[in-house]
Amino acid sequence: MDPSAPVLETYDLGYAYAPDRFAVRHLSLALRRGEVLGLLGRNGAGKTTTVRLLTTLLPPTEGTAVVLGQDIRNGGRGLRSRLGVVLQSESLDFVTVERNLTLYAFLWGVPREVAKSRAEEMIELFELGPARRRKPWALSGGERRRFQVARELMHDMEILFLDEPTVGLDAIARRRILRYLRERARNGLSIVFTTHILHEADTLCDRIAVLHLGRLIALDSAEELKRQHGGAREVSLTFAAPLTGELRAELGRELTARGAVVLAEEPGATVTGRLAFQASAAEELLPWITGWSQLHGMAIERIGVESATLEGAFLGMIEANDDDAPEEAPSAGTARLPPGTGGLS
Amino acid sequence: MRLPPVLRLVARNFASNLDPLTIIIRFGQPAITIVVLGTMFSSIISTNVTGGTSYTAFLVPGMVAFQMITGGVVSGNLFWLDRRWAMVEQIFSGPFLRSEYLGGLVLTTMLFSLVGVGVMMLVGLPFIGLPALSPFRLGAVLLTVALGSIFFAGLLIALGTRLRSANAYFTIQSFLQLFVIFLSTVYYPVTSSTPKVLTVIFYGNPLTYAADTIRDSFNARLGPGDLVSLGVLGGLAAVAFGAAIWGFRTMDLGPIQ
Repeated sequence: MDPSAPVLETYDLGYAYAPDRFAVRHLSLALRRGEVLGLLGRNGAGKTTTVRLLTTLLPPTEGTAVVLGQDIRNGGRGLRSRLGVVLQSESLDFVTVERNLTLYAFLWGVPREVAKSRAEEMIELFELGPARRRKPWALSGGERRRFQVARELMHDMEILFLDEPTVGLDAIARRRILRYLRERARNGLSIVFTTHILHEADTLCDRIAVLHLGRLIALDSAEELKRQHGGAREVSLTFAAPLTGELRAELGRELTARGAVVLAEEPGATVTGRLAFQASAAEELLPWITGWSQLHGMAIERIGVESATLEGAFLGMIEANDDDAPEEAPSAGTARLPPGTGGLS
Repeated sequence: MRLPPVLRLVARNFASNLDPLTIIIRFGQPAITIVVLGTMFSSIISTNVTGGTSYTAFLVPGMVAFQMITGGVVSGNLFWLDRRWAMVEQIFSGPFLRSEYLGGLVLTTMLFSLVGVGVMMLVGLPFIGLPALSPFRLGAVLLTVALGSIFFAGLLIALGTRLRSANAYFTIQSFLQLFVIFLSTVYYPVTSSTPKVLTVIFYGNPLTYAADTIRDSFNARLGPGDLVSLGVLGGLAAVAFGAAIWGFRTMDLGPIQ
């Protein structure tokens, strides 16, 4: 097999639960060796169905995919023995954590000695030491999730599918897992990763596929997605002196004329030297603002430009592709920012 | 050495799902029945009713037949719990075929039932001694239990593939278990004084054929009727196993509760 060849390719892949109910449709993408591909989308976008299709748990009703050189429609045990899958749902055996790990390795035919040492490694890596003699029902939600990822890593694989593996994990555990996955990817493991935590996808994934209503609406690196779909960003200006009502109104008018949306002040705010607005090409407005401030003798103390976030880009993509969604773009000259569009830099 | 997938699954079934308490209760309940019910009823039930043997001697083969229900229930529950805790999906995403998983369940049932046969005979030993089982008659007993296990396991697994609620599954399972046991010749014989309706129901129940065949094997009375019984049991086992295969092929692996 050509090492540069994709390890996974989908061709118009689709799955319909009923003749007119598609969970996934016309999905075409590829995954390279050692690449981490993120699958993002709202609930019901088709992420889990895609994982189930690619791991042969569901047969496609349209198109197909070639995974590790095998068509998923014919790929049975031979293909699955080269994959790892962490399912979205909790899957547990009723024995202790330690026994679960070795039992799972036994199922996969991992030699006993290898299984023992690997279990120790996983217990250490996923901080399951205090829970090693506990049974699944005695574990916390986060411990169960860590255990589930650890268990899947007990056997060798070429592609690892992780369906929301970090749900319920604290920030430290999440970071630890992501770092480990990044390391494994560097060593050649290809990873398909679904998540709703967009910061994770931004950190971990080489490329991100955005699914919406079962269709692929974007596939690119996080940086490129942010650049293309980042949408309006918030700019916050702080002048050295308070803005008079007249100057504030003039600046607002000029910014609106240049495509910006001036954000309303909090009700009851006293007159200050602050003004915030949203604009798609925020940086391009900055030279004009500097000129305006010099012209009016209003020194600028600080300019804060919100950094583009994957979340902002994601929301922009979903809104642009959501025919049923209500229009959220403000038509007037003032609006509040949508929640969660990231911090200022 | 790497075991074949089916045997790995069987080992996993025993290791992960059969805790000591479950095993003790599953085998302990019929064992206590032999000891208590056998002793108490032996003194009040005439041997004329039980074909010339003591009630305990009548009951032990019944409890041996009972093991196929025990095995079937264990298998059905194993499958249900695997489904409930998404282990079916997890296993299917690994290097296993659905047929291997099903084969593993059936083999687990048979092994469990056969161990149960041994336990029941051991418990009955102080009361009725060792039954004079020739290799042929022992084979008939084991074959009967094996076929019966496949029947009940197939039935419960097929049920488990269709139901999506634990409540429904366990209610139906308990209901089936109760009626199958009490409407059979496990505890009492069908005699000329048995009401016609009950006689018909008894002989519509595969456990009756199993209990009668095992009893005839124990008492060295195997005859052509028992061969017919085995044939009926084999046919029913094939139908139930077929239903389980169909259930597996069409099963939705989605979440259940």
